[in-house]
Amino acid sequence: MKKHEIICKDVMEHICENLGEELDSPKCAAIKVHLNNCDNCSNYFKTVEDTIQFYKNYNVELPEGAHERLLKFLGLTN
Amino acid sequence: MEEIKLIEQAQLGDKKSLEELVKKYEITVYNFSFKICRDKNRAENTMQETFLSMIKNIKQFKGDSKLSTWLYTVVSNHCLMLARTESKHAYTSFEDEEGVINEKKFMDWKVTPDKIAEDKELKEFLDYAIAKLHPDYRVVFLLRDVEGLSSEETAKICNLSVPAVKSRLHRARAFLRNELNEKFNYEKT
Repeated sequence: MKKHEIICKDVMEHICENLGEELDSPKCAAIKVHLNNCDNCSNYFKTVEDTIQFYKNYNVELPEGAHERLLKFLGLTN
Repeated sequence: MEEIKLIEQAQLGDKKSLEELVKKYEITVYNFSFKICRDKNRAENTMQETFLSMIKNIKQFKGDSKLSTWLYTVVSNHCLMLARTESKHAYTSFEDEEGVINEKKFMDWKVTPDKIAEDKELKEFLDYAIAKLHPDYRVVFLLRDVEGLSSEETAKICNLSVPAVKSRLHRARAFLRNELNEKFNYEKT
């Protein structure tokens, strides 16, 4: 079997494609090893994760009166 | 009452059950609408249209997928249709893949995601960055990463193959990460 030769660009592409997916292929295993030994890729991985978390944490409240307007629009008011 | 019972009652025309379903999902639908269109008025309009569609079509709902998945589909389609009617907006092109990922020196950021709630400027920047992302990519990023749906569910909602979802996700993540990185300015070129 051909050995997986991993470079930083492979890791960055892989992180962006497969973050959150099952990581059990031989290539994934090689990427994990690379991540543990490369500060550059490790930082990239962390900042991609942070990017997702920034958008996950950014939530908005329902505006005042929006619930009542919705029920009225739908004809569900008594 | 369990959701399946509420749906059955709603299918029989019970207004109270419809109201319960609306109450259960209104914040999810409003938030997701806002995250796609980044505008509160449009988000409210989309929420109203989404639930109107739910009420009109509730009898056809067979329970093959979750009601939430069905609502995400309606919101996505509505927002994408709105975006297409005003397609003059200049979104970032992903034709030049080398421009999305490169091999510069990457540094960790000093700003952490838990600061978002108290930082108005940061919110404005997140709005600005994601507004540059084409809505077709934005929807995939939001469904998969922000709402936490699987690649398969995202593919079904967007009418895409799973590889196409992964491809769009890859570009969207890298693009947004690079935008935020420029703002945080901790990466030296």
